[in-house]
Parts: sequence; C-alpha cells; structure tokens
Amino acid sequence: MKKTWITLLAAGLMAASLMGTGLSAQAEENAKNEVIVTMPTTSEPEAGFDPAYGWGAGEHVHEPLIQSTLTITNSDLSIGMDLATEYSASEDGLTWTVKIRDDVKFTDGEPLTAEDVAFTYNNCRDNSSVNDFSMLKEAVAVDDTTVEFHMTKAFSIWPYTMAIVGIVPEHAYDENYGQHPIGSGRYIMKQWDRGQQVIFEANPDYYGEAPKMQKVTVLFMEEDAALAAAQAGQVDVAHTAASYSDLTIDGYNLLSVATVDNRGINLPAVPAADVDGVTVGNDFTGDVAVRRAINIGIDRDEMIQNVLNGYGTPAYSVCDKLPWYNADAEVAYDFDAAVKLLEDAGWAEGADGIREKDGVRAAFTLLYPSSDSVRQALAEDTKNQLAQLGIEVTTEGVGWDTAYTRAESEPLVWGWGAHSPMEVYNIYHTMKDTGLAEYSPYANETVDQYMDEALESSDLEESYELWKKAQWDGENGIIQEGEIPWIWLCNIDHLYFVRDGLQIAEQKIHPHGHGWSIVNNVDQWSWE
Amino acid sequence: MKKKINGRTLLLFWLVLSVLFLTAVCIGGSFLDETARVTDFSRKNISPCIQYPFGTDWLGRDMFARTIRGLSISILIGVCAASVSAVAAFLLGVVSATMGKMADGIVTWLIDLVMGIPHMLLLILICVASGRGLKGVILGVALTHWTSLTRLIRGEVLQLKEQNYVKIAYKLGKGRWYVAMKHMAPQLFPQFVVGLVLLFPHAILHESGITFLGFGLSNEQPAIGIILSEAMKYLVTGKWWLALFPGIMLVLTVICFYTMGDSLRKLIDPASAHQ
Repeated sequence: MKKTWITLLAAGLMAASLMGTGLSAQAEENAKNEVIVTMPTTSEPEAGFDPAYGWGAGEHVHEPLIQSTLTITNSDLSIGMDLATEYSASEDGLTWTVKIRDDVKFTDGEPLTAEDVAFTYNNCRDNSSVNDFSMLKEAVAVDDTTVEFHMTKAFSIWPYTMAIVGIVPEHAYDENYGQHPIGSGRYIMKQWDRGQQVIFEANPDYYGEAPKMQKVTVLFMEEDAALAAAQAGQVDVAHTAASYSDLTIDGYNLLSVATVDNRGINLPAVPAADVDGVTVGNDFTGDVAVRRAINIGIDRDEMIQNVLNGYGTPAYSVCDKLPWYNADAEVAYDFDAAVKLLEDAGWAEGADGIREKDGVRAAFTLLYPSSDSVRQALAEDTKNQLAQLGIEVTTEGVGWDTAYTRAESEPLVWGWGAHSPMEVYNIYHTMKDTGLAEYSPYANETVDQYMDEALESSDLEESYELWKKAQWDGENGIIQEGEIPWIWLCNIDHLYFVRDGLQIAEQKIHPHGHGWSIVNNVDQWSWE
Repeated sequence: MKKKINGRTLLLFWLVLSVLFLTAVCIGGSFLDETARVTDFSRKNISPCIQYPFGTDWLGRDMFARTIRGLSISILIGVCAASVSAVAAFLLGVVSATMGKMADGIVTWLIDLVMGIPHMLLLILICVASGRGLKGVILGVALTHWTSLTRLIRGEVLQLKEQNYVKIAYKLGKGRWYVAMKHMAPQLFPQFVVGLVLLFPHAILHESGITFLGFGLSNEQPAIGIILSEAMKYLVTGKWWLALFPGIMLVLTVICFYTMGDSLRKLIDPASAHQ
C-alpha cells in the first residue's frame, strides 16, 4: 500500500517537472523578440482601448501604445513631441495651435489628419467618463496638419493632457471601437480575451523607430498568481508586492522602479460641521498644530522598512521629484518637536495617556480601503507611531462606496501620483459650490490664486514656479510651515520579477497604478 | 470482569468536552480582544513557536489571539443568529400546523421563497443591504437559517395532530393555542433544542464564508473568514501557519457543535434514550 503511494507520488512529481521544463523551453524559444508581462486585474480597461473611456487618459495615466498622442512626456517629465511638430498657446492662453506630421497612417492605411485629432478631442470632451475635459470648448481642424483647441479657460498644462489622449480615426470610430481599436501607434491590438490577456503586435508601418519587441502579451492576474506564473517560468515580467520581495526565483531578478505612486492621509483642516447631513471637518485635526505635529512625528523611514521592506521613498508632497515639486515640503522626523507642538497648543496628556484639550480627545478613526493590504499596513503603522505621541487612532477598513464621504470628516489612506500638476489642483484647490477642496475640507485663497495663475500662464516652464509657490511661497502653503492639510507618507516602488537577460529600457518615474506604466517603452526592450 | 463504559456516559463525556472547549474559546476570546488587534512590525512573519503558538502575520499580529478572538466572534454571531432563527422556526412551525389551511399556506410559501434563493446569495444580499458589519452579518444569518427547522417542526406538528391524545384534547373542548402549548410543545422540545444546536455550525460557517468573500465584517476585525482570506495571499510565499491553525480551529469548533447536537439528541430523544 505504502509503495503504491510512493510510486504515484514519484510519477506525479516527474510529470510536474516535465511540464515545467516543457513550458520554460517553449518560453525560451519565443524569447527573442517577444515578451509576456503580467498586470493587476484592475488594469484591464473595462470599456476597452478607447481614450474617451479611460484608456491611457484614465485614473492611471500611461501611453496608449495602440494610438499615437500629440505630445509625450520625457523621462524627466518635460514635454516631447510625438504627432505634433510644434505647438503654441495664444497670449491669453485660450487657444492652442498644434501642427502635426503629415506622414502618419492608421493601421488600416488611411492617413491621420487634423480632422481625426479634432474629432478625438471633441469626442473625449463629450463622452469622457473618467477625465475632465471641461476646459476644452472645441477642437477645430484648420487644415490637414493644423489643429486649434479653443479653451473655455486658460489651461497652461494642456500639453500634459495631449500626452495621454490617443488619436482615434474618425472614419473607423463607432461604439465598438474599444473592442477593435485602430490607431497609428507602435503596436496593433491582435487579440483580447476579456479577463485574461491582450496580445499586441508591432505596427510594421510605424512612422517612428521600429519597435524591437515584435509581440507583447499582457496577462491580467492578481499578485499571488503572477508570482506563481513567474515561479513556473511562464512569464517574463511579473508585477509583485513588497510582501513578496524577500523571495528569490531562479532565473529572475527583482526590478524596483521609482515612482510618485504616493500614499498619504488627509487631515480635515476645518472644525466639524454638518453640511447637508454629511459631517465635514474634524475638531481634532482641524487644529493646525496637530497636523504639523503628525507630519514631523511620523518616522517615514521606519514605516518604509516596516511596511514596504525598504522598497519605497519618503513622500513629502503629492508630486515628489516632478518638475513642479517644491522641495521646501521636506521635513525631518523629530519626535520631541512634535510633542512640543502638541503641548504648546494645549493638548495635555490625560489620565489614560491620550491627550485632551477643552474636552476634545486627541483621537480619530483612520480609514483605509479594505481591499488594499499595503494601505492597511500603513494605517496600522501610523496608529502605532501616533500612539507614542499620545494620539489615539482606530483603524477601519472601508469600501470606496462610503470612503469619499467619510473622508470629509475622517482621515483616509489615499494613493495619488500623476504626470500632471493638475493633481495638485484637484487636491488643494477649492471647489466653487462648497468653498472647500474636493477630497478633504481645506481652503486657502492664496494657494488657490497661485494655482489659477499657473493655469493661466502662457509658458509651461514658467508655470512650474507658480505651482511651487502654491505649495509654499514663504508665508502660505500646504507644507509643514503652512497649513499641511495632507500628510504624505511614502512613494511605493513598483516591483517586478524580470527574467534574466531581458533589458527593460529606462523607466520614467511611474505614476499611481501598478499596471501599464511599465510597458510605456516596451518597444525599446530587448533580450540579451 | 472488565467494566464496559456506558454509552450514555460516553455521550455525556463528549458533550461536556465540547461545551468546555466552546466556553473556553468564548471566554478566552473576550479577554484577547485587545491583543488580537495589536500590530507590531518588529515581530512580523514569525512561524509558530512557544511564544506565538500560531505564528504571526505580515502586520506582526499574534495569530493565536486573532484566531481565538475570531472564533469567539463567530460563536457570538452563531448564538444570536441561531436563537433568532430557532424562535422564528418554532413560532412559524406551530402557527403553520395549528392555525388552519390559510396560515399553513403562507408559511410554506415563505419557506419555499427563502429556500428557492441560493443560500449564500440571499445572505450576501441581506448583509450588504443592511450595511455590512456585525449587524449585517447577524441579520443575514438570522433571516436565512430558520427555514429547515421550521419545516421540521411543521411536519412534527402535523404528525402530532393525528395523535389520539391530541384529538381527545380537542374533543374535550380545549382551544388550539392551549393544545399547542400544553400538549404539543413538550413533545417538540427535544427536536427544537437539537435543531437549535445544529444551526450553530451552519451559522458559523456562513459567517466565515460571507466574511471570506468580503461582504461581512470589515477587515481590521479579527474574524475567522478574514484571517483565512488574508492567508490565501501569503500561502504562496510559504507561510502555511496563517491558514492551517485557524482552519483547524474552525473545523474543531464546528465538530464540537455537531457532537454537542448529536449527543443531546441521543440523550433527550425518547426513541434513543435507552440505547
């Protein structure tokens, strides 16, 4: 009886190892100019590969691969050219004129003209469900190679928008475009098995440098499945998380890519009040001394070691390392100074070690999206660190259905980071109807004004200075010396298991989202 | 002469053991509430040792404390839900069998309605509709588990109605309610108690199931379903203790309830009392 078991086991093992070698041998044969990449299941574009429904220009920005864009972002996040040969804004910033190349064809053989560009942008303005195109009044094709964008208001960072909107062909666009995209980009979408994979093949008629990788297969799976796939040798690049980073896989090395994929918590900056049945503000975090104490009372390096196994960098703003980042935001961890700030502001330790002031307890509930284990760990570490300051934090996992509303009065662990200064605006600028910022109550006229000026500026490079001033101009701002309505904790490195011999071209700093960013330049990857 | 252990004594022994185990879990759990929530990154991912018999997870939480606390929450939910279910089942069963055709029709229709919807689906629907969390789970489990017991009791009552002593009681002019309470209820009691106890494991498994799927308790709570679903992500990295011990404990708890129910049935059911 025992013997049969052993025989069976041995047979099973042999079969398994045979299968394993078979698969890896197959992968090696294909390996010359093909690559298989995994991505989180959330990266699969639900509405297909249509820029109007979030492809490239969605919540997580990336290059659309299938389509061409007017401009591109370089690796230092300055603006480069793709279809555009030149662009300029009028003095008042209300008209953008873009000249485009005349030698570009869609993969169905039709030439790409300014008509297609205008059509794409007007279509996005009318239909985009994900991105805001309300600043665009109308796009007009002046002639075959010139397009004019008429804006409703000055918008100096328009070139960043032009870098993510893929140009679609007017003649071949209908409601099914997302399923069967036609573009003029580096790759053609060959096959899409919903929920599983997308296969791209190089565009033979591409107008730029010919892609080195002829075939790119993207598999959608969770991190544990991606790890298993890498262990079985079935994929070339597997996305992974810090919690798996201490594993080694034979034949693979761990690639860590710097990001502005930041995590931070909002601290409602006004006292609690009831607005239309929703609590807005928080009596404890409404005190600026509290927010300052929390900002310098959190040891970010320790947090990165604890939660990310060291794969991260401390974050001090929503836009660390980007051209519009104001380095004044950086602070050093100083526990004693944090305690002093709290003491001076009158938050005295109560009988149970938790501080109090005028009957308000130094306590808040820290929310995190319950599906995200990294944010949960960040919340827990924040809780432990703030406990030493005499602040009582209770953590609670929430779904996105209630998170936005609750964040108006309770801190939430957020993730941001985009290749556009617009994010600074979205987080810190007030909204017209409430007079407060959208995601966490905060308002400062001076900060608003700098950002308005930055958008109205006619020169993009010059506007960076204004974005910096919005963060801190010496008197007002959103950093430690200012009103610090958000605490930024860390930028999470994006981690991948990469098969030995695969050369991943230089990555520009990744934005929020662990998906498509890695393949932004897949055409330049190569095998040794 | 070798003394043979009496079957009844043996049953009693298992019953007491089960009850002791479950009480220990409940009491232990209520003491461990704080410990189960503590995170300490200096002790993360420790495999089982003397200090942490069930190991620790990626947040440095003591898995033993979490498991016991999780089970005690489960048992609490089980008690709440099973009691509500059982009371509902008893009332509906008796109503259905004694109040005439119309009432019986309505109750049978209700049973069929609830049973016609897949159990887990209905559970999730009720739980999400009532705002998830502890309240949602208790409501969900309570409102979906009364059907089978109701059916059982209704059938039993229908049988009792044909018994001579019940018919005689009616002929003597006793009212329906009087007969139901005085003559039928005592007969139903063993069935009822056993049914109640056997509802627990169902309730507990469904609570863990719904939480595992992410519709139940929120995941900073030490619930057994959460422990198991989190463990899934780390199994692939070789952290076997995250799933093994909590899983074994869950199975043990369920087995204890079954043993309890089964022993009780054999001890108080007249038909098997003399075995």
